[in-house]
Order: sequence, then C-alpha cells, then structure tokens
Amino acid sequence: MQIAISGGKGGTGKSTVATNLAVALRKIGVKLTLADLDVEAPNDHILLGVELANEKPVNQFMPRFDYSKCTKCRKCAEVCEEHAIVTLRDGTPFLMPTLCSGCRACEIVCPVPGAIQEAFRTIGHTYVTPTPYGFTLVTGKLKEGEERSMPLVVAAKRRAEEVREGLLMVDTAAGTGNTVSKAIESSKLLIAVTEPTPLGIHDTELILELGRLMGIPTWVVVNRADLGEKEKVYELARKYGAEVVAEIPYSENIVRSYVEGKPIVLTDYPEAEIFTGLAKRVAEFLGGGE
Amino acid sequence: MQIAIASGKGGVGKSTITASLLYLLKDDYSFVAVDADAEAPNLGLLLGVTEWDEEREHIGAKVARINTESCVKCGICYERCPYGCIYIDDEEGNYVVNELTCEGCNVCGLVCPVAGTITLEEVRSGVIRKATTKYGFPLISAQLDVGRPESGKLVTEEKEWASKLMKELNLEHMIVDSAAGIGCQVIASLGGADVAILIAEPTPASLSDVQRAYKVVQHFREPAYLIINKADINPGFRGLEEWAEKEGIPILGRIPYDRAVPKSMSMLKPVVEAFPDSKASKAIVEIAEVIKKEILG
Repeated sequence: MQIAISGGKGGTGKSTVATNLAVALRKIGVKLTLADLDVEAPNDHILLGVELANEKPVNQFMPRFDYSKCTKCRKCAEVCEEHAIVTLRDGTPFLMPTLCSGCRACEIVCPVPGAIQEAFRTIGHTYVTPTPYGFTLVTGKLKEGEERSMPLVVAAKRRAEEVREGLLMVDTAAGTGNTVSKAIESSKLLIAVTEPTPLGIHDTELILELGRLMGIPTWVVVNRADLGEKEKVYELARKYGAEVVAEIPYSENIVRSYVEGKPIVLTDYPEAEIFTGLAKRVAEFLGGGE
Repeated sequence: MQIAIASGKGGVGKSTITASLLYLLKDDYSFVAVDADAEAPNLGLLLGVTEWDEEREHIGAKVARINTESCVKCGICYERCPYGCIYIDDEEGNYVVNELTCEGCNVCGLVCPVAGTITLEEVRSGVIRKATTKYGFPLISAQLDVGRPESGKLVTEEKEWASKLMKELNLEHMIVDSAAGIGCQVIASLGGADVAILIAEPTPASLSDVQRAYKVVQHFREPAYLIINKADINPGFRGLEEWAEKEGIPILGRIPYDRAVPKSMSMLKPVVEAFPDSKASKAIVEIAEVIKKEILG
C-alpha cells in the first residue's frame, strides 16, 4: 500500500504533516517507509533531525559520440525531443548535457553500431536513512544545476520500493506537473495539505484536480487553519468529493518543533493530538495497519 | 535589467514579497512582472488580477499514445520506457501510456515493432496569459495543465513574451517571481537574469533550500542578494546570516512575522497597500528603498 502527501502550493506544511504522520503511525504500530520525493528541496531529514545516509549516485545515460564511426546522418539529433543534440553544418553531432534526459532515443535510432557509446553523468543522489522513530527515510536529491527532476523521482521511488517495509508514504514536491503525478502514482490515498489563503485554495484546486484525474481518493488537511477563510477550503473539498480530515492552527509550538527537528507529535503540546488523530484515521483507512 | 526572485523552499514568501515590491516600485520604474511558477501561479491573485487581456495556449508537450487495435502486446515499450509510464490495464491487458507522467521522449514509439502503433502526439501543456494590473504595469503569468511535463519551457516562453512587451512598451525592467525548487522552472527563471534576489526564513529547511538555489545562481554568475522573511520566528538561529556573510551575499533586509500578511492575502492585495502601517510593510518599504539604491540605481 502507498499513500501520498502533496498540496500544490509550496510551504503549506507537506513535510511537517508527512514526518509527523509517519512518526505517529509508527507509534501506533503501523510499519512504514517514508520517501521524500521533493527532489529539488528535500527537507524531511531536517525535520526529523537526521543526517542523510547511504548515499547512492543517480547516474543518467548520455550519448558519447565515436566520431570515427559516426556517419553524420543527423538521426540522433532529429529524434531528440529535448533538442539536446545539435549538429554542425556537416552533420557532426554535439551533446548539450544538461538538456539530455537520458531517454536513449538517440542510441535506439543510430544506424551504426558503436557510433553512440554509453556515458553517464551523476544528476543527483538517493539516500536511505534510518531514523530514531522506527522507520526508514528514503530521499531523492537533485544536483544543483540539473534541470530534470523526473529521473530523480523515479530513482528515489525505486529505491524506496526496494527497502520499503509495510506502508510506503511519499512526500511530494510543490506543484502539479508530471513529476508530482509520478510521485503520487500508485497511491491508494492522497492527502492534500493546504492553507486557507486564496493562494493555498487556488493551488489546492489544482492538486484536487490531479487526484481526480488519477482516480485517487483524496483527503484535505487545512494547515494554519486560523489564518484565512477555511470555509472556502471545505467548499472546494466538497466540490471534489474530498474530505477535510484535520485542521492545524498556526502554532508557535509547531514552528519551534519544526526548527528544532523534533516531531511535534512526540511532545506534550496540544497540537500533537492532531497528528495522532490523523494517524488513527489513516490506520483505519489502511484496514488496521499494514 | 532583469531581476529574478527565488528561494528554493516554497511558502517562504516569494510571491507576497514580490507583489509588495512591485507595488512600491511602480511609481519610479517601468517594468513587466512575470509569474514563473507555472505549476502554482499566485502572483496574479495577489495583484488582484481578475481579467486577462490575452491568453495563449501552449501546445508543445508531447505524450505517447498506443493504438490497442494494432498493438501485439509484446511489452517492449513497457520494458523500455525510461520513466515507467506505461502500464497494463486490468480489464483487457492492454498496454497504456499514463499521460499524466509521460515525458514525451518517444522511446516507446522507437522500439515498438509495429509501425504506427505508438504515436507521439502534441498536447496542450498549459496557457500563458497577459494582464494589465490595476497598478498599471503588465503581468505575464503561466499555468501548466496538471500532470504535464516541461514547465521550464512554459517559463522560457513567458520570458520571451515579456521581452517583447519590454520593447513594445519601452519598459526598463523585468521582474521574475520563480517557482519553488531548483529544477527546470527555476533555471529558466534565473537564466538571463542580471540579479537574483533570494528569500529565506530562519529555519534549517529554508537555509538548506536557499543554499541550493544559490548554487544555481552561481552557475549563471549572477550577483545575489538575500531577504530574510519571518525574521523573528526562530530567535537564536544565525545560520542564514553566517551563510550570507561567508558567501558575501548582501542582506537587503529582514521582515518580521506579521499576521497582517495572511490577512492582506485574503484581501488580494499586497500587504504594503492593505496595511501600510504594519511592521511587515515598514520592513518591506525599507527593503524597496535599498533595492532602488543598490540594484536599480
């Protein structure tokens, strides 16, 4: 079973909800692995107060041209949807590495065996980090300057699948493009974390639309519920047949636990109860735990 | 001059601060604003935009489609898709492309042994819009359709439109509000900028993300400045200051946490317009003065 935490807008509290929910679920006996698939800005490890461990490079294919064999037919350049291969006037191909997506289309169409050789470059890393809370955190981290998150999301998700124990909980990036849908893919439940500002509401509609298109039952968590018009979130949730399952007030306690890297769900602050309650609902949804 | 505003982390106040700065700069400078967060565009909302002058569909994303009639179910496409976007449907056992995750690389089409079975089709990836804000300056904003690739290309196209407007309307500056993260949208936002303004809040997560955004800025060799938002939420945290000093990044100013900010958002107005006397507004006014002196000249 897999569930996803997403939200559309950045900074709504996805990681706060994901990390606290993970700790709370483990506490009530649900085995799980948390995957931080916000590969451009992964923060779950910081919120959990752990250092990323077991680094593994994500090496992406790129073509290396053997000019002694290349017939300058230009097929590789023509087939490259990313326009990562440019050709000189005589047809000699050159690669612009940051545009290359590593899809191997050039290799497939090249008519001369050996003219395109395999080369690799590291576009980021994945990590498998034990946490003191009884679950493992898998993280994908795109290298600065690299444009394409998709291969990192795929690699991190694959690594999470390899090491997963029980439930796989994925924490996605902000936005609603195809890297977010890739992260969410295969989830049985989508939890959209939002805030009741017009901005949050606007972006929530996008993530609810994505959930609808993917056919995934969706819950909504309203963060900073006292800073805006939460009725509008309820209205929107109704429109999409999503249920609002929790409200989290703006709270200095949460900010404090956030900056200290200590999950609030383990404290005596009253806000801890919200996450415990949410964990129970998720456990019920999962059918008594997995 | 082209100024890009980035943060790495989402929700630290990029759009709210940008909206206020635009409001404060509008009387002394001419510019076009660009909302380059195509997956979650919010700047138009904050500037009270309700009508768009012009809307252009962006057709450019490509997705693969499999014709089940001629498909021989060999499964080669399924094996070779680099991103795992082909699945087998439950009912008929047909191979299907998940259009919400497809990158449009056409590898499946190239490896398919039956000609014409897998085609790459152009689809709409989103829209780019232009508005004239009630403050007089134009705004270009893009919205990616959900589940589509290539948000970076949408941003590049926004900036091309904005450049044309600068020429047509004889505007001096372009101010680009980028997306969260450090990927293609942010690279498209920062590429070609003369100056980057980074926004962060004093938390370890925001520090980590803004450091990553700064590395992208360094790729482009652009001078960078830092604004510290919600500066007082984490007393004792010196990470941002220490980092900025080490890298030689000038701090333009500090904005305190202020409930006037979310309130102004609900009113769909920049906080400096809605609550000019709030402590956040006063801090932003000071920052605008520094920007006028140090950056815009």
